[in-house]
This record gives sequence, C-alpha cells and structure tokens, in this order.
Amino acid sequence: MKQVFIIILLIIIGYFLANTFVEIPFGGNRIGNVESNETVAGYYLSNTAKKTGVANVITAIVVNYRGLDTLGEVTVLFLATTGLASILYRRKEEEEDTERLNLPSSRIMRSGVRVLFPAIVLLGIYVFIHGHLTPGGGFQGGTIVATGFLLMLISYKGFNTDHNRMVWIESLAGLSFVGIGIWGLLSGNTFLENTTNIGVVNSLISGGLIPIIYIVVGFKVAVELTGILDILLKIKPKK
Amino acid sequence: MQEQFNEIFIKYHEIITIGVYGTAIALMLIGLYAILMKKNLVKIVIGLTILDAGIHLLFVGIGYIQNGTAPIFSPGYENSADRMVDPVPQALVLTAIIIGFAVTAVALSLVIRLYKHHNTAKIDQIKHLKW
Amino acid sequence: MVISPIHYIFVPLVAAFAIPLLSKLNKELPRIIPGIVLFYNIIISFVLMQEVNEVGYISEVIAGWRAPIGINLIITPFSGFLVSLISVLGFLIWLYGFRFKKVIDDGELRSYNILQMMMITGAIGIIITGDIFNLFVFLEIVAITAVSLTSFYRGRDGAEAGFKYLLIGGFASAMILLAILILYTQVGTLNMAEIAERMHTVPTEIKSTILILFIVGFGIEAELFPLNGWAPDAYSQAPGPTSTAFAGIVVKAGVYGLIRIIFTLFDIEGAYDFLIIAGLITMIIAEAAALKQTNLKRMLAYSSIGQMGLALIAFGIGTKEAVFAAMFLLLNHAIIKSLLFMTGSILMYNSKEKTISSLHGIAKRLPFISILFAIGAFAIVGLPPFSGFWSKLYILSAAADKEMIFLIVTILAVSVIEIIYYFRVVSKLYFAEGTTNVEVYKPKINAKISMLILGIAIFVIGFYPDLVTGYLHNAADILLDKASYIQYVLNTDSTIQ
Repeated sequence: MKQVFIIILLIIIGYFLANTFVEIPFGGNRIGNVESNETVAGYYLSNTAKKTGVANVITAIVVNYRGLDTLGEVTVLFLATTGLASILYRRKEEEEDTERLNLPSSRIMRSGVRVLFPAIVLLGIYVFIHGHLTPGGGFQGGTIVATGFLLMLISYKGFNTDHNRMVWIESLAGLSFVGIGIWGLLSGNTFLENTTNIGVVNSLISGGLIPIIYIVVGFKVAVELTGILDILLKIKPKK
Repeated sequence: MQEQFNEIFIKYHEIITIGVYGTAIALMLIGLYAILMKKNLVKIVIGLTILDAGIHLLFVGIGYIQNGTAPIFSPGYENSADRMVDPVPQALVLTAIIIGFAVTAVALSLVIRLYKHHNTAKIDQIKHLKW
Repeated sequence: MVISPIHYIFVPLVAAFAIPLLSKLNKELPRIIPGIVLFYNIIISFVLMQEVNEVGYISEVIAGWRAPIGINLIITPFSGFLVSLISVLGFLIWLYGFRFKKVIDDGELRSYNILQMMMITGAIGIIITGDIFNLFVFLEIVAITAVSLTSFYRGRDGAEAGFKYLLIGGFASAMILLAILILYTQVGTLNMAEIAERMHTVPTEIKSTILILFIVGFGIEAELFPLNGWAPDAYSQAPGPTSTAFAGIVVKAGVYGLIRIIFTLFDIEGAYDFLIIAGLITMIIAEAAALKQTNLKRMLAYSSIGQMGLALIAFGIGTKEAVFAAMFLLLNHAIIKSLLFMTGSILMYNSKEKTISSLHGIAKRLPFISILFAIGAFAIVGLPPFSGFWSKLYILSAAADKEMIFLIVTILAVSVIEIIYYFRVVSKLYFAEGTTNVEVYKPKINAKISMLILGIAIFVIGFYPDLVTGYLHNAADILLDKASYIQYVLNTDSTIQ
C-alpha cells in the first residue's frame, strides 16, 4: 500500500518537474550576447582570457571569480574527513584489533596495479597542473590520484599510507590556500585576489596565482580522499 | 561534422530534450524511490547518491547551448567566445559533486557504526528513537 | 589590514587547518584555540556593528571582482546583529564547554573542537553571504559538522539521530540545488541582489516552483513542520554544548536563510500568508508534542521548534512592528534557549535514561544551576519581568494591529501549554523527594560564568528592553527595504564602504 502511494507521489513530482523544464528549452541560448554583459556567463566568456590569462574559463570561474565557493568546498572535504574520523574513532586499545578488510585480489590485479599505480598518479598530477589549460583541475586530478591509491589499498593488505605525512600535507595545503587569500588582503587588495603577473595565455606559466591554487587544491583533495578511503577500509572484521 | 550534428539536432530536438531532461528527472525519481522505500541502509545511501546524480546531470544539461563548444580557449579557438557553452553550471556542478561525495562518505561511516552497534543494516530494526 | 566581514570566515579556517598540526606540539591546544578565535569574532562584531550603524550596509568584494561577477559578503543591520549575537553565544558556549566531558581522548578532542568551531563559522557564513550558491556551500558546511557532532558520543543512539539528520539534510540540499538551477536558467546570475532585481521577469509558475523548492530546502534547517522530524533526535543525542549551539545558532541561520529568500528575493504576496500558516502549524504541533515528552532535551527541542514557528508567524505578519518583534524574539530565544540547554545538559549529565523524573529534588544539590534553569523557564513562557515577556507582548500587539484575533488566541493558548510543561520540570527540581546518593555533575567555574552571563542578560533586557529595541526597529526597516539592498550591492565598486 505504501508503495503505491509513493509511486503516485513520485509520478506527480515528476510531472511537475517535467512541466517546469518544458519552459527551459534544451540548447537555448540563455547567455545572450556575449559582449553585452547581460549575464555573468557572457562576461566570463568574453573577458577571461584578457583579464586572467587563463585559457580554461571554468577553472577561472572556480578558482578566481568564485574562489570563495572553492574555499568552502575544500573546507567541506576537510570537515568530512574530520567527521569521518570522529564517527569511526577508535581508542588506542582498539587500534590494534582493527585491520584492513581482507578483499580478494587476484594475481593479475596485483601485478597490474604495480604498473598502473605510478602511471595513474602521474596522470592525476598532470591533470591538476594543467588545470588552467585543459579540462580538469585540482579536484579532478586529486580524485585520479586517489583512485590510484585506492587500487593499491585494495590489492595489497600490507600497503600502508603514512598517516602522519598525510596530515602534514593536508594542513599545509589548506593553510596555503587561505594564506594566498590573506596575502590578497595584506597587499591592500581583496581576499583571494589574483595579484601576480598574468603571463601569456595558453602557456604553462600563466594565470598568476590560479594554477598555484589549483595545484594546492589537487594535493589536498588527493590526500583527503585517500585518507577517507583508508579509514573506511580499516574496519574491524567480524569475528 | 559540426553541420551534420546540427541538422540532426534540429530535426530531433524534442527527442534529445526528452532524452537529457528525462534521464535526469528519472534518476532523481529513482533516487527518491530508493530513499523512501528501501530497507537496507546502504541502498538508502545509494538512493541519495542517485538523486544527486540526477540533479548534477540536469545542471550540465541546462548549460548546453546549441552549436556550442567547450569553454576553453585552446590554440586555434581564441576567438570563439561567442560559440561556447555556458561555463557557470559546469563550475557549480563541480562543487556540488564534491559536496555530494562528502555527504556520502559521512553517511557511509554512520552506516558502518549503526551496523556495528545493532548488528543489522535494516532500517526498521534500528528505529530506537521514537516520539 | 582593515577589519572586514571575511575575517569571520578565514580566521576560523586558519585555526581549523592548523589545529591538527598544532595539537602535535601541545595536547591542550585544540581546546584553547577555538576560544581565541571565537573571542576575536566578538571583537570584529563590535567593529563591524559600529560601521553598519553609521553606513547602513557593508558590502565586501571577494577576489577582486565586483558583484555580480564575483561573490560578495554583505552585512545589513539585521544580519550584523544576528552575527554579533552568534559570535557572543559562540564564545559563551565554548566557555561553557571547556572541559565539559570529564574524560576525552586526544583525537576526539581535536575533532570535536574543529567541528564545533566550523559549525558556528558555517552559520555565520550563511548569514553574511550575498550569493546564493555560496549560501548552499555554507549550508553544507553546517550540515556536515552538525551530523558529525550529533553522532559524537559512542554509546547512545547518536548514530541513528545523525543518520536521520543526514538523510533529511541531504534531501534538503538537493531541493535547494534544484531551486538554484531553475533560478539560474531564468535570471542568469547567482548574486542575490541581482536576482532580486530580475525577479519580476520570471513567469509566475516557475517562480512558485522555485519558491516551493527553497521553502522545502530551508524549512528543514529552520525546523518547519513537517520537515523537523530530525530535530528532537539530533538535539537530544548531541553533546551538551552542541545542542546549545543547535538551538541558539544553527536554527537561526536556517530561519535567516528562509527570511532573506522570501523577503528579498521574492515578491509573491502569498508567501507571507504561507509563513503565518506554516508557523502556526509548526508551533501548535511542536508545543503539543513537548507536553508529552519525558526526556528533558527532547522537550526543550520541541519547545525550540515551537518558538521558531512563532517567529515565522511574526515575520509573516509583515508589518514593521511585526518584523521588529520577530527579531526581538530571535534575540531572546537565542539567549534563553542557550541557557536552558546549558543548564539542562548539566542536570541530565549523570542520569542514565535522561528523563525528567530523574530530576527529583536535585535543586538542593545543584542550587545555582536549578535557579538558572527556572529563570530560563520563566523567561521563555513570557513572564515579566524577564526578557521573553517583551517579545511575546510585541508580537501580540503586532497581531492585534492587523486584527488577527485567531492568532492572538492561539498564541496565548500555546503559552499556557508552555507554562504547564516547563513548570512541571521546575516543580520536579524543587519540590519532589530527593535522593542523596545519586551522582551529580558539578560544573566548573567556566561553565558557571557562561550561564551567569546569560542569566544576567535575560534580566537586563527584561528591565531595559529599550537597550535593544531602537536598534532592532532600524534593522526591521532595512530588512523591508529591498531597493536599497539592491542598489548598495550592485552600485559599489570598491571593496569596503
């Protein structure tokens, strides 16, 4: 009975949503004339290359125009890691009892991962260093690196991430990001302003502080995601 | 290549629209259904993930502009600012995906703790706190 | 470096990122650092309030791009007052919570302090931001910290309460995201002032859909019925200082978000009536539920929900008098409820089942705490000469101005219900047979100072309401003045005015 009721409710909700989206034509040009600055998207598209020196408009939006959002997001990840650690907290006595889940991994997987791991990490680092030139960036690159670590964690029970070093990287990366923001304030401008030389568009060194911020974010995300995976995999096996 | 795709796009506009929006809405409804109806805690968390996925898909979908190209000024595309798709929804969805991931991580850790405590992953057996 | 709104955000962030490293130097640092940060918040509040009083608005540009290209932070008299209140409360809660739990592990201490401090920062962020997606990000900060803190204690049903909160909260975020999505397609911007300016171009049906989605999303955080199912569980399972923060700080941010959206972004007539009806239903059901509770913290949680319903009714009435009264209620409720939760948590600390009946006669063993609890109880039901009396009076008079007799009768009836269940607790405290061999938690001097300050505030505002009424009247005027908000944000080029 409950199932019927819920299905009817969902159909109604779906109908209302569909109705709303009929009004929003797919592929319709909603950013207007790019030169006229009617919408923020128009401004971003026409001015990013000149004003920030960054080729990837989305990177410019995420790191520069809406940098506070990215700072908030990095904070959310940090808090999620802290929250996870606090929810699954183990006192010192229990720490010895827990071990990583014994996941079955075949010989093929183990030998394959040994080759893939450095390649994946390299790809991830490449993605977040080139975030301002090609699609990608700190978050995407960091996730790729974490995927590499995940493969290692699943395949090798003995593979241990250095918890201490991860805490250092995480905290330092976070402090650098906020530090760059404060640097903007100290030099008389606004928080997180891009104050250094912009350079030539499409070269590796361009965009001022933007690639630096993204690299910092890339490291932070990689370390945090690996930390989360490590905590989630290290639960006491049922006796 | 571009012109051929454009022709197809105009001819089958309705179908493509239904395809994109419809899939996103369908994902949202499936996610909602899982959250409301499923008994297993992990499946409920997966439902939340699917709901989020539907919304993210919708975000990217509304950003598309007909005939548009990616908003990156790669060499050779320096002057195509007027032919690019809307970059803002893509930037927003980037943030939203990460936040969704963080929520899922915390949710799963709670599921682990609930399982350890009550020895079950069925939600109707964990309803200790009542009115 | 000039003091500006961004300090509310980056100073706690620096502290939060630094605590894992600093705690290696000294194990006690995680306890102390939030205190310094929250005290600094009070200092900034002082400076910014002076400025806002002279100038009317403070709008700060972030990353060098003026609104609406970039994000801006904005302080109005209303938001400035709320944020100052939260700063003071945040510091008092920290003071109260210092060494609250007798035995705690290093790692737990670190996590707890980081999460508690960031929850308060997230609430402040929700209030001072001028961009709607930024609002969403800060809301998520609050959600994640709140859920982690709810599940902090290991033995009780914290994980269940936390899971429920997370699920409902996740659904709320999804609704808000959807609303932002649809809104963006219609107005092409994410800046609140610009959205307010362009709102009239949006077709009415779509406007209603967006509004409904926003109300569902924010209603969950503001504890509107029927979206508040998570609240009693979360409040009762969280540690004492955290429940206090929930009631005094987090819910205010949710209500602020709802009010900011309805008052500034939208211009639909029906929204105000909706607030009154929703507030009414919330208040009646919550207070009736409070009557049935045997767990003290759950009772306080339901009472909190009821008071928020009352505040929404007052906002919904919409006149300057009513909005002023609503703001006054928020101020009083924050102080009184914080005091009630602080004293309540201490009273309940050693009771296994956390029921009210376990409080019999404790007044003899904990006289200081009990008298403060009693003061809080008298204040919140609205007895003179305490502060709560004035806010209820002003709300009733605003309702009388608009001749809403039904509202007046209901509010009075609900007050009677409140008197019944609060006095039940007070009488149990003082007049029941006491057992002398029950272990009682004796709070330390820092907790006592916090509670005393709140108690004194209740008296001072009760005797001299004019200290705050003038300021709040001004804040109410400015909240209703949409045009100047838009003009100020969009026409300023420099960073801080």
